[in-house]
This record gives sequence, structure tokens and C-alpha cells, in this order.
Amino acid sequence: MSTKPRSEMSLGEKMQSVPKPILYLVLVLLTSLPLFKELNVPNKPNEASEDFYATVMAVPEGSTILIQSDWTGSTRGESGGEFESLMRILMRRKIKFAVYAAGDPQAPQVVKDSISRVNDERKLSGQPGYKQWDDWISLGNLPNAEAANQAIANNVQTAFPGRKAIPSTGGSPQDVFDSPVLKGHTKLSDFPLLVVVTASNTATIAIERYAGKVKMAQMVTGVMGPETLNYYPKQVVGLVVGLKGVYDIETLMEGGINTADPHTIKDDNGKFQGKSVEGFPGELNKGKATRYYPTLHFAFALLIIAVLIGNIGMFLAKKEAGK
Amino acid sequence: MKYETIRLIFGALATVGLYSVLYRENKMYRFFEHVFLGLASGYTLVAVWTETLKQSWWDPMVGTQTENGVPGQPGFWAYMFLLPIGLMGYFVFSKKNNWLSRIPIGIILGLWSGQQLQVWWNRYGPQLDDSLRPIIPTSFNPMFVPSTKGLPKIEVDAIKAHVYVSTAVSNIIFVITLLSVLSYFLFSFELKAKFMQKTTLLGRWLLMIGFGAIFGSTVMMRFTLLIDRMYFIWVETVWQGILGQK
Repeated sequence: MSTKPRSEMSLGEKMQSVPKPILYLVLVLLTSLPLFKELNVPNKPNEASEDFYATVMAVPEGSTILIQSDWTGSTRGESGGEFESLMRILMRRKIKFAVYAAGDPQAPQVVKDSISRVNDERKLSGQPGYKQWDDWISLGNLPNAEAANQAIANNVQTAFPGRKAIPSTGGSPQDVFDSPVLKGHTKLSDFPLLVVVTASNTATIAIERYAGKVKMAQMVTGVMGPETLNYYPKQVVGLVVGLKGVYDIETLMEGGINTADPHTIKDDNGKFQGKSVEGFPGELNKGKATRYYPTLHFAFALLIIAVLIGNIGMFLAKKEAGK
Repeated sequence: MKYETIRLIFGALATVGLYSVLYRENKMYRFFEHVFLGLASGYTLVAVWTETLKQSWWDPMVGTQTENGVPGQPGFWAYMFLLPIGLMGYFVFSKKNNWLSRIPIGIILGLWSGQQLQVWWNRYGPQLDDSLRPIIPTSFNPMFVPSTKGLPKIEVDAIKAHVYVSTAVSNIIFVITLLSVLSYFLFSFELKAKFMQKTTLLGRWLLMIGFGAIFGSTVMMRFTLLIDRMYFIWVETVWQGILGQK
């Protein structure tokens, strides 16, 4: 980049050295203003997201799934949206869940806050709240993801010795494995599904330790996405990657999968077959991704324009230097 | 002003303070950086106790007494030996006795190493299996995978049983990518054959394309984190917190 005063620069040099504060200011404007306007971006959910949605929707109502949640406030933009959309589906389908962390001691509290937010949403829309002990259980954090996952793979109950929670009716804390959520669950295979929501390498560690013992789906960040995609669909039956993945899930929650002719895709018992799954039309399906995804396009546009300006500037500067 | 609003305003100020380093190094950034580090350390210390040590170690070790009809549990007293073993890790800072730190490190290494054979297979075994893909089509009409929209499962399964031309082309691209990228990492001997040189060159190009896709996904995440912060400042703090709008 040229060190000349700006007034002495040629057009090509000026284009290559747009002041950083101006770029940042434009970026802030482009990532702020669209948040106030409801914009719709056409979306075709990808197969990995569809499989994730179909897998969660196929879990029998009333059963308990296991969730490993290893994200904290630092990735709220992506992981927060992923976790909240998962919570909305589980709560609507009355699926119980036990959640633990294996990557960060802060994660359990972040999860509790997130569950509380979705619960408030439900109460505002007149739906019953999800109660700790009756509907969900927090198993806290286990340090060292490798050892934690190995212990859980061996025996879920002995991996969390002495874990207690206060029953929804009050009283003294009791063993979480006496709760309606975890009663009778000792092995990983007792759970119809394990969902890993993570912003780190614990996605891979879970695959390594849980292989073949439980059906697994994952929700990962954009950074972890390309690496985790290798494990889909053999080792991970459904995968949500970053903001696009959450936008896919929110789209599917509204429209379902293959809903064009739902009567022909039910079997004799009235259950959906193949990948055809219902959505929750009319309910509060739009979450973080619906707000953030259109805004992301403005940021991408700025990035592309900045790359173009820089390259055109370089081309012009070379041409001027050659004269 | 409500406590919740004050909390939001402080959060927004901290966000702006930390982003101010993009303009230049300044005292506001330094202040919020130290506040963040202090808060994070303190919070983590408490979280380690409440979410990890208390539940996983202390409570099982001391056990419980029968209370309000809830039967007590005996304490696993042997858990107390975990504390000195764990504390030995801190001898890494002692010049004289740092050998003690090797005991807990050795235990962790032993546990980790013992898992590796099974871990390797669990991770890569299914991928090796998945790499063996059919490259010869079994159906030429239609050329592309037909839509399964609205079809019963038996027909969906019948459609999926075929290898269509489009699937075969995708699989060929996959196999070529796999083999050429693997050939790029043959460093043990010199590749003199022209064919192998071209294959490794192709592998390098395909790796670069892969890295480009990974970079794009990473950029998406970074932008999303920024958008989330902007949402926190403008919508959650200013619009909903201060102005009280829904």
C-alpha cells in the first residue's frame, strides 16, 4: 500500500487504500439498519438440515433425548439460534431432554438462560411452560470432553454420580435419575437421539466416543461446519451448520418437508413416511436466523464490493505505473 | 431506570468499548478488556465449582443424609484421593519437585492413549467405507435423480436404489478429488511420472478450492457474530431496553 499523502495518490492507489474507519463504519451501518426491517430471503434448505429436522421430528413424543451443549456467549449469534430453534421443536412436541456440557463450565448456565427465554415465549403465547425435573434436566459440566464422552458412552448413570435437582413440586434435591426425564435411562442406547450443539471440536470427540451407540445429530458453527460435514450422513444423521443451517430449520419449522401433498405420504397408521415431515405453520418459528440471515447478505455484498474495488485499484495502479 | 436496562446499557458500552480497538488502541478498550478478563475469570471459577467440582466430586464424596423422606446416599470417601493427585499438577511450577506433576499428566496421557485405537476407527472407519462409491450408472432414464415429493416410502426406496447419471458424475468427482488430494501428501519419495505430477497438482488446486470454501464458511460465522452484537446494541438495548418498544 502506498505511503504517500492521500492528496498525491492516483485513483488506483486511493482505491487500494480506503481508510479502515470508513470501511468499519459502512460495515456497522450495513449490519445494523437491515435489522429494523423484516426482509425475506428465498431459501431452499439443504439436505443435511432437512435430515436434522426430520430426525428430531421422528423422535416419539414423551421420550427423552440427550443434548450435549458446548457453546457460550461468544457464539450466541449462531449457536444461540441453533439451540433455541431446537428447544422450540422439542417443547412443541413434548420431548423431554437432559442437557450436559463437556467443553466449557460456563455452558450449563448459558443453556439455562436460553431455555428460560424460550419458556417465556411459550408462556406469552398461552402455552404451558417447560418445567425442570418434569420436562428437562441439567446435568452440569463434565471436564475433559474425551474422558467425559468415554464415561457417558460406558454408562450414562455412573458418568453423573450424585447429580441432584429440586423436583418441580419443591422439597429436598433428589437424584436426577429418579426424575421423569431420566428414570430408567442408564445406557446411551436408551435415548432415541443425542444432539450435540457446539462451537468447538467437541463435535468430533463425540463422534469418536459415541459411534454406533446412539443416533447422533449435530448443530455446529460456520467455522466447524466444513470439518463436521465429513461425518454426515454416515456418522451424524443430521447436521445444522451456522446461520444458514438455523435459517433452514426455521424455514422447515414453518413449511415442513414435502408438505405439498401430505395425504399421500402417510402410512396406514397416519404416520409420515420417508422424509416427509410436518411443520408448525402459524406458530412463532422465526427466530434469530430470520432476523440475521438477510443482514448477512448486506455484509457479504460489502465484502465483495471491497474486494472488487481493491482489485480494480491494483489494476489501475499497475497500468498507471507502466505508463 | 430498571436493573435490566442498566445491565443492557453496560453490556452495550462494553461491546462498543471492545470494538473501539478497531479504530486505535485506547484507554476505553483497555478498561473493558480488563473488566472482561476479570469477569470471565471470576465467573469461570464459580462455574467450575458449581457445575463441575461440586456435582462431580464434592457431593458424591461427602454423600447425603436422609432428609424429608429422601433417602441419603453414602459418601464415596475414596474420591478424596483425587484432590492430591490433581494438585500435583501444580508442581509443574516447582524446579525441585516438578516430577510430581508427571503423575497426573501420565494418568491423563495413559487414559487418552488407551482410547486412541478405537477412536481412530470410530472416526475414520465409516469414512473409508463411505469413500467406496459407485461410479457406473445403473439408470440412464432419467439422467437425474427423480423427485420423491409426495411418494410413499416404498417408491422412495426404489428410486434411491438406482445410481443415476448425475449421481455417478458426483461420485466420480468425489473419487478423483479424494485420490488426487491423497497423492499430494505422498512426500516419502519423489514423484517422477508425469501422470503423478499432474495428479498432485490437481490435488493442490482442489485443496485450495476446499480451503476457499472453508474460509467462506468462517467469514459467514464472523459476520454473524458481528450482526448479533449489532442486534444486541440497537434492538435489545436501545429499541427494546431504553425506548421500551416491542
